[in-house]
Amino acid sequence: MTSTVQTARATTQASPRRRPRPKRHWSRYAYIAPAVVFVAATTLYPLYYNISLSLYDAPIQKFLAGTIEFVGLANYAEELRNPELWAGLRVSLIYTVATIALMYVIGLALAVFFNRKFVGRNAVRAAIFLPYILPSVVAANVWRWILDGSYGLANHALMSLGIIDAPVFWLGQGTSALVAVVLATGWTMAPFAMLLLLAGLQNIPKGLYEAASLDGAGPLTRFRAITLPLLRPVSLVVALLGFIYTFRTFDTIFIMTKGGPGDATTVLPILAYNEAFVNFELGSGATINTLMLVIPTVLALFYFRATRSEDAQ
Amino acid sequence: MRTRNLGLSAAGLVIAVIYLIPVYWMVATSLKETGDVFNSPPDLVPSPPTLAAYSDAVFGDSAVLQGIWSSTIITIPTLLLTLALAVPAAYGLARFSLRINGIVMLLMLAAQMLPTISLALPMFAIFSDYGLVDTYAGLIIANTSLALPFAVVMLRPYMLAIPQDLMDAGLLDGCTGFRAFVKIGLPLVQPGLVMVATLTFVMTWGEFVFGLTLATSDAIQPITVVLNRFVAQFGTQWTNLMAVSTIIAIPIVVIFVLLQRYVVAGISEGGIKD
Repeated sequence: MTSTVQTARATTQASPRRRPRPKRHWSRYAYIAPAVVFVAATTLYPLYYNISLSLYDAPIQKFLAGTIEFVGLANYAEELRNPELWAGLRVSLIYTVATIALMYVIGLALAVFFNRKFVGRNAVRAAIFLPYILPSVVAANVWRWILDGSYGLANHALMSLGIIDAPVFWLGQGTSALVAVVLATGWTMAPFAMLLLLAGLQNIPKGLYEAASLDGAGPLTRFRAITLPLLRPVSLVVALLGFIYTFRTFDTIFIMTKGGPGDATTVLPILAYNEAFVNFELGSGATINTLMLVIPTVLALFYFRATRSEDAQ
Repeated sequence: MRTRNLGLSAAGLVIAVIYLIPVYWMVATSLKETGDVFNSPPDLVPSPPTLAAYSDAVFGDSAVLQGIWSSTIITIPTLLLTLALAVPAAYGLARFSLRINGIVMLLMLAAQMLPTISLALPMFAIFSDYGLVDTYAGLIIANTSLALPFAVVMLRPYMLAIPQDLMDAGLLDGCTGFRAFVKIGLPLVQPGLVMVATLTFVMTWGEFVFGLTLATSDAIQPITVVLNRFVAQFGTQWTNLMAVSTIIAIPIVVIFVLLQRYVVAGISEGGIKD
């Protein structure tokens, strides 16, 4: 779920009406203190703990016995030389970029369509929103069935349409498995992109289109010359948030392929899970965790800067 | 003009039907006889429809009932705890210009962006020190850690929209600040509360990573993890798998249908434009 967009704007929204009376200042902290303490204890502290754990040789037996050994940056040296980490990074980036492209294209098409008024628009738009809130394990399991090589609906439809002549075992081969998880993730994320892009479309002044029509611009020209350029800020937000939320995906891939076949769909979150909860190496799992956070952290900083400078205007 | 509008309505309906084919296929498969899923070409409509998969895999299987029970035991306290912490926090952040507001908002925004697995791993380590691994309490804490930052951030714009005059009037009438917040502020932000409660429910009911990593015994695992166990156990008993999937989806769909106007409004209204 995602509320980031909303708020990045709201953060700096001016509200000159605050501060009714300046006395009893400390009681005001009482409103936010419980939530802040909770988030600090359940987010900041685990992150700190994760970094400190990454400096130890900590297989689970040693961890439970309390005999883990401090090894400094040895885990990092080892992981950075580990081809699995780089393979995981490569898969993560391909998966993330392909998913963003898919969710953006579908989301934009849906947004352009729903930007027009018609009877029943809200009901249909809400129906399309359903895949976004469906539990990801449910969505992944349904896609696993639809893409089943022997009896899946997808093969049946593609063969009836003459697009393929033999059934494809989607989840059985590396490339098609990656396509499959991208498809499933894109399907769940596109409604989110649609909602953001729709809000962006509604902010484009109608007068621009009318003026362009008078100048003889057709619908395609208007889309290219007005819609796309004016949607750029929203598109950037969709791309950044899409990246952050797709890069961290675990459930969909875990249910559909467990990261396989081989390591064809082993994205970094799956790799971290396998290291910590399958191989029971908590130290190196924590190391992968820390390294995995680098890219989204950089993008998040970029996102916060971008939204803040926009607000300042 | 009128006909064109109806043309668009028809097109919208077609788009929605195509987009929701996977959902239809889940329900349709769950209503088939076990062997019928192997028919070629596939039966697009179950004939005859049967509830066999439900009586077999859902009501006849104690693991699934256990999973639904665990998910309920985890979701309801998470929902209450999230609201109890988020509502005052969102109010405080919206109404008082405290020095730490900026950094707190940044914390709440950043917390939502973390991969769940990067919290689950250290939480597993921390919880094992406190005896919280494989307990409902541990799962409730973990799930609240996901929902709370989200709830604070989503609620804050609603709190900003409370007219200050009304709050001032309450204070003049002798209400304390907290009483004015409860008596005057909260009723005004009811749509926001409904939206946040709905989304917290949706998130927690569908949560998987914490369930997978922090609940080690069958008796605690939420229904999402039970479904994953089924995938390993009956890889291709599709009618059963789709029946369990449908059962997991039903509460989400029902709540969403009842409350979607609050949810879509909450995400899109406050969304990009401000």
